[in-house]
Amino acid sequence: MSAPAPPTPAPGAISEFFWSGARRGQLMIQRCQACGTYIHLPRPVCRACHSFDLLGEPVSGRGSLYSFTETHRPFHPFFVDRVPYLVAVVELEEQAGLRVLTNLVRVAEADVRIGMAVQVEFERLSDDLTIPVFAPAVAA
Amino acid sequence: MTSLRKVAIAGVGYSQVGRHTGLSERHHAAQAAVAALGDAGLDAADIDGATTWGGDATDFAWMLGMGPLRWHLNVGVSPAFITPAIHAAMAVATGQCDVCIAFRIMMQQPSAAQIASGAATLASPSMEDAGMMYPFGDFSPTQWAGLLTNRYLHDSDATEEHFARFAVVQREHAVRNEEALQRTPLTVEDYLAAPYISKPVRLLDCDLPCDSGSAVIFTTEERARDLRQKPVLVEASALSSIRDMNFELLDDMTHTSPAHCAQVLWSRTSLKPGDVDCAQLYDGFSVITFQWLEALGLCDPGAAGPFIAEGNTRLGGSLPVNTDGGACNVGRRHGANFCIEATRQLRGTCGVRQVDGAEVAVWANAVGPFSGAMLLTAG
Ligand SMILES: [Zn+2]
Repeated sequence: MSAPAPPTPAPGAISEFFWSGARRGQLMIQRCQACGTYIHLPRPVCRACHSFDLLGEPVSGRGSLYSFTETHRPFHPFFVDRVPYLVAVVELEEQAGLRVLTNLVRVAEADVRIGMAVQVEFERLSDDLTIPVFAPAVAA
Repeated sequence: MTSLRKVAIAGVGYSQVGRHTGLSERHHAAQAAVAALGDAGLDAADIDGATTWGGDATDFAWMLGMGPLRWHLNVGVSPAFITPAIHAAMAVATGQCDVCIAFRIMMQQPSAAQIASGAATLASPSMEDAGMMYPFGDFSPTQWAGLLTNRYLHDSDATEEHFARFAVVQREHAVRNEEALQRTPLTVEDYLAAPYISKPVRLLDCDLPCDSGSAVIFTTEERARDLRQKPVLVEASALSSIRDMNFELLDDMTHTSPAHCAQVLWSRTSLKPGDVDCAQLYDGFSVITFQWLEALGLCDPGAAGPFIAEGNTRLGGSLPVNTDGGACNVGRRHGANFCIEATRQLRGTCGVRQVDGAEVAVWANAVGPFSGAMLLTAG
């Protein structure tokens, strides 16, 4: 029996740049080319200025932890062997309130602190799917 | 433009609510409607407006011999039963119809075990936003509830023990409610021994999945005075939306839509939070009730945990909350139980769980991106 495949993002969607960026090892966030506002999740229009000129741009991958939860139940076959795992919301340093839903890795739940500095890294789930996850930032 | 008519709740009813009832959506709608008509002392022919979330209002009305309808509306994804309820009240207030039935029909969702085994899926991942969450293992409302609860624990005075006390108080109320599905007394130790679904959210912080049909009949105050029950009057209501449906990306997970909704609600009435005799506040996850208590000004900001632990929300306390036991005990009636319990409290028909002299009740649904609340008074 083959291992269950991970859930996949919607193909052909405007978020395609996010996933192709992750496969290259880059965290890409949609940005308005008219006013510079970052937008996440990706949308066809800028909510600040109504420009339709939006592109994925690489960001630093540095941020802080806004909240987290340790999931104990698998809600999908792929995660049966992965529970418990940490689902997290990270605020990216590029813009106040710019948040991404992600996983927190290489830290025990008991050591997680809201507000802690985190840094992106990439986890390959299948040939087609790599996800941007976050780990505690290493002090420079 | 004619002036708005004062609206009253004239009848309430439930279907045979339970886990995996084997009954269809139509069956639940029919049972709930028959119960609500009987409660009000109305005939099907008296109904001239219908709205539902779950199924089709026109289908239910035809099946039940109602109509012709002068107004109808099928509600999509929205803050639970409060949305059809507010729309029904508006339809009556504006004269679109005179006697409107509002439904919430909710069929039990597949279990986590069914989903994990591949026997069922929670939702199609074709929606683009869901596709941005699923690869991270984020599938279930329990997980955004975990995110909201952890942030709430960080931002407020609440502790895990306060959440335990909340579950214990809710069960105390359910013990006094013959319609509740869970009536075995609960201790703080029982709560703390319950498994985490998505830490810090435990099984006992979640509403109980079930099949349910609920129906509430709204009409004018004038008409309601001639009917079987003491009228319960709609004093004010509000619906709020502060962002799209991505709970995970809320700007402020502790002060969410209920904070905005409560401001709007209180701006529409001369009543004040201190006038409320009992509150029926959504508990799809425990943290939602905590947020509503603070948002509505029923306790101090950040103080819902201590407020509950001090016994204020118990029957006999300063502000009884979720006096039917809440959806974690009566089952997922998706907000309708809070409307029905508030109505029964204001009628004074709650028997062993009656709040003495209840004249003002607030009921509220949902959290996060959107929510709604309604203030009711004894007629
Ligand atoms: Zn812009």
